[in-house]
Formats: sequence, structure tokens, C-alpha cells
Amino acid sequence: MGLNSTTRWKWLLASATLAVVLSGSFSEIPFGFISGTLIGTLIGTPANAEDGGNLYNTELDVTQGRSYFERQCSRCHGFDATGNDETGAPDLTGRLNRASTDVGIFDILRNGIAGTAMLPVSATLPDTQIWQLVAYINSLSADPANIQLPGNAVAGMELFTGKGDCDSCHMISGKGGRLGSDLSFVGDRRDPEELVSDLITPTKDVEPRWWRLRITGRDGTVREGFRMNESSFSVRIMDTDENLWSYAANQIETYARVTDSTMPSFAQTLTDSEVDDLVAYLFSLRKEI
Amino acid sequence: MRRSTNTVVTHKVVTHKVVTHKVLALGFIAVSSLTQLAGNQLMAQEEPFQTVITPAFSPVTWERLVNASDEPDNWLMYSGTLDSQRYSKLNQVNKDNVSELELQWAYQIPVIDRAETVPVVVDGIMFITEAPSNVVAVDARTGGIYWRYDHVLPDDLRICCGRNNRGVAILGETLFMSTLDAHLVALDARTGNLLWNKEVADYKQGYSKTEAPLIVKDLVVTGIAGGEFGIRGFIDAYDPATGDLVWRTYTIPGPGEPGNETWSGDSWKTGGAATWITGSYDPELNLVYWGTGNPGPDWNGDVRLGDNLYSDSVMALDGDTGKLAWHFQFTPHDVHDYDAIQIPILADITYEGSERKVMMWANRNGFYYTLDRETGKFLVGKPYATQTWAEGLDVNGRPIRVPGMEPTYEGILVSPPIVGGTNWYSPGYSQDTGYFYVTAFDGEQEFFKRDEEFEVGARYTGGGGRYTQPMDAFHSSIRAIDPVTADIVWEFPIQPRSSAGITTTAGGLVFTGSADGFFFALDASTGEELWHKSLGARVHAAPMTYAVDGKQYVTIAAGNVVYTFALRE
Repeated sequence: MGLNSTTRWKWLLASATLAVVLSGSFSEIPFGFISGTLIGTLIGTPANAEDGGNLYNTELDVTQGRSYFERQCSRCHGFDATGNDETGAPDLTGRLNRASTDVGIFDILRNGIAGTAMLPVSATLPDTQIWQLVAYINSLSADPANIQLPGNAVAGMELFTGKGDCDSCHMISGKGGRLGSDLSFVGDRRDPEELVSDLITPTKDVEPRWWRLRITGRDGTVREGFRMNESSFSVRIMDTDENLWSYAANQIETYARVTDSTMPSFAQTLTDSEVDDLVAYLFSLRKEI
Repeated sequence: MRRSTNTVVTHKVVTHKVVTHKVLALGFIAVSSLTQLAGNQLMAQEEPFQTVITPAFSPVTWERLVNASDEPDNWLMYSGTLDSQRYSKLNQVNKDNVSELELQWAYQIPVIDRAETVPVVVDGIMFITEAPSNVVAVDARTGGIYWRYDHVLPDDLRICCGRNNRGVAILGETLFMSTLDAHLVALDARTGNLLWNKEVADYKQGYSKTEAPLIVKDLVVTGIAGGEFGIRGFIDAYDPATGDLVWRTYTIPGPGEPGNETWSGDSWKTGGAATWITGSYDPELNLVYWGTGNPGPDWNGDVRLGDNLYSDSVMALDGDTGKLAWHFQFTPHDVHDYDAIQIPILADITYEGSERKVMMWANRNGFYYTLDRETGKFLVGKPYATQTWAEGLDVNGRPIRVPGMEPTYEGILVSPPIVGGTNWYSPGYSQDTGYFYVTAFDGEQEFFKRDEEFEVGARYTGGGGRYTQPMDAFHSSIRAIDPVTADIVWEFPIQPRSSAGITTTAGGLVFTGSADGFFFALDASTGEELWHKSLGARVHAAPMTYAVDGKQYVTIAAGNVVYTFALRE
């Protein structure tokens, strides 16, 4: 790969930055910055990134990273990077299990994950392109540090147990009900926009785990409950009193799926600013790195 | 444990193994000297009775392979028999007692991946392939290990869809296995010793091999994977003694050959049409039948205008020369990745009043076909799974396309999804019911198109697909199809899907599995469930059955484990 306009621009930036750093103490130059960026750009030598952030994170880099991803990675990880049941490749749009930093992502791309189907990228792929891929993967999930929310998280916490009555169904850190999903780390998997949508239009895109089944048994008894398990040979539901009911396939006369949500919409019951407060609180619920 | 000192002396094995074996025979436990490899050493410590040589067995001659259905105690090839019916004449396990099946043993594959293997069994010895490209020989009654072969692979493999191997072929006392680095290896079936290791194609250009080879007379016939890397597909035949290439038939005709004109420009050079699943063979007609994969790039047909022969086709090749006798293309100018890599099932049936030699085929494109396998003529075909891309098939079996179903830059919803109405999962056929059985998926997906330049060794797919609903919203079924009418006779629903193959038996049974980890038996006539067992991980392989000392066993791989069942004693 030759120096196209993007990489040349990057190199100029790198030179400029290097000059600034050099004017201070030499020891401040991050090692990975030199090996990963300068050498990688100029001669394409594969190198492990050991330190230094990603300089290749402009919109253009993200676009190029996405293009590479769609071509090389989507077969396993899915065209939208949400993972693939067929290949067992994980969802890359939320918190990553194997890497928490840019360098961690870079290393996985460069080296693969031994003992898994995650192979390294081609050994001849320049580091610059790997950094673009890192930029694209980062773009799939918002960095919470860069997000300013209008709401007040403390007020949101009060709404959760107070006016919103969310804890009658949802649990946070062991407190609350079992009739909704555990929200202890909901900020890791839902961004603020999605959280607003969850509160206003909860019936949109209900996860299969929270579908309900309405079952008529061989004796005519009808029961409805959350779809705790639905396999080829049995189903298990939990009713609103948290009772579990298991059925073997041959004990079922008929059954139907109910795919809307049991959660009410808060469009009418909370003000816009209360929704903002609740979202600010929920988004703050993340695992500490 | 059956062991013969006589065998050790006469059999050609490397010196240190002979020595070790004699030591064992004398009753000493010499665990540390048993093995050369670290992985083996672990096994040896756990399994004090591990040997390095199998008991003697009668060499698997070509005649035995032709008549494999007459020795149902053995499962001599990937699809059971050359006609790939996966029908076993064993009936000790049957409709009346299948509910008494219980686990006999489990073999844990040491390399963690998702097993797609179908073991081969010869005279009580089972050969299991493992991810990424290894083989182990075990006692088919106990799962106890005789030997293992670990294939050394390079670090920079180009593989599309997982580190899989689906099984070995056997001829005489030699095993043949495909490897992920696009090699074909021959192993001594008694010891696992490497006899030869042949590069079939350059893995750095995107070629790889996962399928079980097929023995055809005195040849090892084998395909190639890499349809997502702009390869040019082929079917090869090798000399089993030397590994020398005897013939190669490209699945994409070169310049001057008929069919080359169905590729615009130079697109034939990078047109894919891989051959990554085992074919079938008719000894009377001397024809090898092999399915071919998608044209490349998969989802952008703009750069390869034309029908793209012989992608998404079945090719009938002369068994001696590899010369093309006929072809049938299921999906001309495919833009949805509807590979025709299903296994051709061959049977002789009464069709419109006369005996016909037919081939049955449920294609990834959602249609079922019955073809005349002497001529390739289309007899009958209908959808067997949800499909929205074609209005139907014309009198020649060619699809009548629904306009505007090609992938777009924005995405367009089409059924079947990329994974297909079915995929590589082995279908089955019962000689008792006359039905064809297939694992069918009713799904849909948004298909996207992208512009890509070809680069050697890089993916060349031109787009992809995305589900717009959770997987649980979809359904799979095991469907029984009447090959005379192409109608669905019964179906058995699965939640939410299955990627398991199917095996039928003279006990009136259909054995298969599901992605939610069940292995189960259905009544072949009605589809009624007779037995199921949760194996705790996805069944992503086909079952097989065999017998040793008069006892019938049924084996299935699920997750990373090979499970073997038999009736309660």
C-alpha cells in the first residue's frame, strides 16, 4: 500500500506532534507512538502497539475502517458488528470482553486470539489500517467520558425508586424486582438515545428473553408468563408472582408468543426533564474498568 | 483391549513405537515414552491404557466401499455410502426401543471449537477428526484412544467460517484428510503415522480445505474451500499411494472452454465456485457428483455479469478422467451466497411409472429438486423453505426471478437469509419410507452490496447481510419431502434453528439434532418425536451409526464432544 492522501496527512500530523514532544523530554515519547505510527506508516512493519492512543480516528478513518470491517470481519461478526450466532463471534458494539483500550483492540487484530477462530489480520496489513479498524470499532460504542447528558443522575436515582416505580420490576445491585431485566450495568449495553427510547416506546424491539408465552395445557389450564426458556422440547415461564412453570412439549395443547413489552411507556407519566434525569442515572450504571 | 503381538511385529511402524508397544504388551506402564507430542503426553497420563496402534482390521477395499450398505456394522465414509443416503440397515435400535438409548461414552476434543466431524468406523475402530485439522483413532466401544495425529498449521491461515474439519476417507489401511492449510494428508490408519502431505493449493491465496475426501475406485477425490477469497474452484483426484494429482477439473471454465462466456471480462479468474462439501458417486454410471459454491464476489454480481457457470451447480464428472458429463445450475448469477454445496443423495425411485436413477437436492436457495442423474434433466422442484427471491422454477428447473431482489447499497430484505434454506448439513433418505429429509430454516435477512477491488488472499465478498429480527423470531424444521412430488410430507419444528445433519435407519428412525443442544430421534414415517436428550451444546454435525460385537451404537458430535449412545443392557 502506498502513501495515500490520508496516510500522508497523518504522517504530517505525527511529525508535528513528534516535534512538539521532542522539544520536551525525549523519554515522554510513547514507544507505541513511534513504532505503531511512524514506522508502521513508512515501511509497514508489523509491530505490537504497546502504548499511545489512536491517531487514526477522523471520520474518514472510521469510514475506511468500516469498509475493511465489512469486507474482512463481517462474515463472523456480522455486517453491523453485532455478532453472529452461526459463527459464535461476539457483538462488538457494546463493551468488549477481551480489550478495554485501543491498544488492546489493536493487539487482538494484529495477533488474533490464540485457540479461537479469531485469526490475526494479514501480516502484511499496515498498522495504519489496523488503527482505522480500531477507530471504527470504537465508533460503534460511545465513550461515556465524551457524553454530556442534560439530566441529573441523582434526581434520576430518586425517580427510579420513587415516582417511576421502576424497582418494582427491575433490580439494581440486588435491590428491586425480578419482572424486568437487571439494570445494574445497563449503561454498558444501552446508550442514552436507546434508554430514552426504552422509556418512551418500550414495546419496540423487546429482547426475546422478555417475550411472554401464553400456554394452554392438555388439561385446558391457560397460563401466561415471561419466556424463561423455549427449547425444541420444553418451555418454562415465570408468571407475575414469580412462579416458574415448566412444560414438556407433549404437555402443551397450544401456545402463543406475546412479543410486546410488559413495561409501561413513561411518555405521559414523566416529564421530559424527568426522563432526562432517569436516563442520566441509568447511563451512569456501568462496570468500573 | 484387543491387541495382537503378531500385528506389532508384522506391521510397519516406526521403531520407537514398536518398542513402546512391546513394553506395554509385557505389562510395564511406560507412560512417558508413549508419545512424542505434549498434547499426547497429557492424554497418556489420563488414559493409562492408551496404545499407539489400533487392532488389526480388514483393509477397506474399493469393493467394500461400493457395498458399504451391506456391512452396516461399519460406517465407511462421511456420508455412509457412495450414494450418500445416510441410511443404515441396522435396526437393533428402532421405533419401539429408541427411548431406552443411553450414553455409552463421550470423547472430549482437546482443541476448543465447534465439532463438525462425522466419524468413520471400521471393525470397531473409530476415526474422529477435530478442529483445526487433527485426527484421533479410538475404540468404538469405549472411546479409549489408540493414537492421534496433530497437523501443524501455519499462523496466517485464511479461513472463512471457522476452524473445521468434517471427517476422513479410508481406503485399504490409509486415511485421507483435508487440512485448513489446503493440504491433503495420508495417514496410516493403524498408527496415525504420516504417509504423505500434499499441497493442494496455496493457502495464502485464500484456499483452505475442510471437507471429507471421497474414495472413487483407486482415486482420492476432493474439493476446495475459499469461495469468499476470489479463488477459482476445482475438484481434484489424487493417487492414494503417492499423493500425485491424477486429474483436476476446474469449476469455472477457462478461456476457450464452453461456459467461460458466462463470466464478463476476467471475472472467471476470481469467480469462486468452491467445492467445500463431499460429493457422491454412482459406480454403474461411473459419475462423480459434486456441488459447487457461490460465485465471487458473493453479493456484488455487477463485476461478473452472466450465469457464472458452474457456480451454484452440481457437476457430474467421469470417475476416471474428471471430464464433465453434465451440469445443472440451481442459481444462475447468484447474488445471495446460495452455495450448492449440499450433498447429492442418489436413489432409484419410481417416477411417473418408470424406474429412474435420480438425485435429490434441497438447495440453500430454498428450493428442493429431483434430477435425473444419468442426464442432469430436471424432473420436479418446489420451495421447501421460505423464499422470496424467485416466483418459481421453469420447466427446466431454472428459477424465475422476482425483479429487484438483488442486494443494494442500502440493504434489501430477502429469504432465505445468507445461511440459507439449508446449508452444508447432510440431508438423509430412507429406503423404507422413500422420503428425503432435510434441516430447513425459514428466515430472512437484509442483503447489502459493496464495491471491492480484488486482492490476492483477501476476502472478496462484495457485501454481506444483517438480520433485522432476533434469531429467536425464526423457526427451523426437519422436513420430510416426497421426491416424486417435491411436496413436504411432514415437519418437526425446532426452536429456533438447527445446523445438524440427518441419518436414517432401518429401525424406522430419523436421527438429528438442534442448535439448542438436543439430539433426538423421530419416526421416519410420521415425524413424531420418539426420544430426545440434551447434550448441552449445539449439534453442528451429522449423526452416524455402527455396531460392534452385535451391539448398535449411535454417535453424534455436539459442542466439543463426541457422544455415543446404545440401548440399555
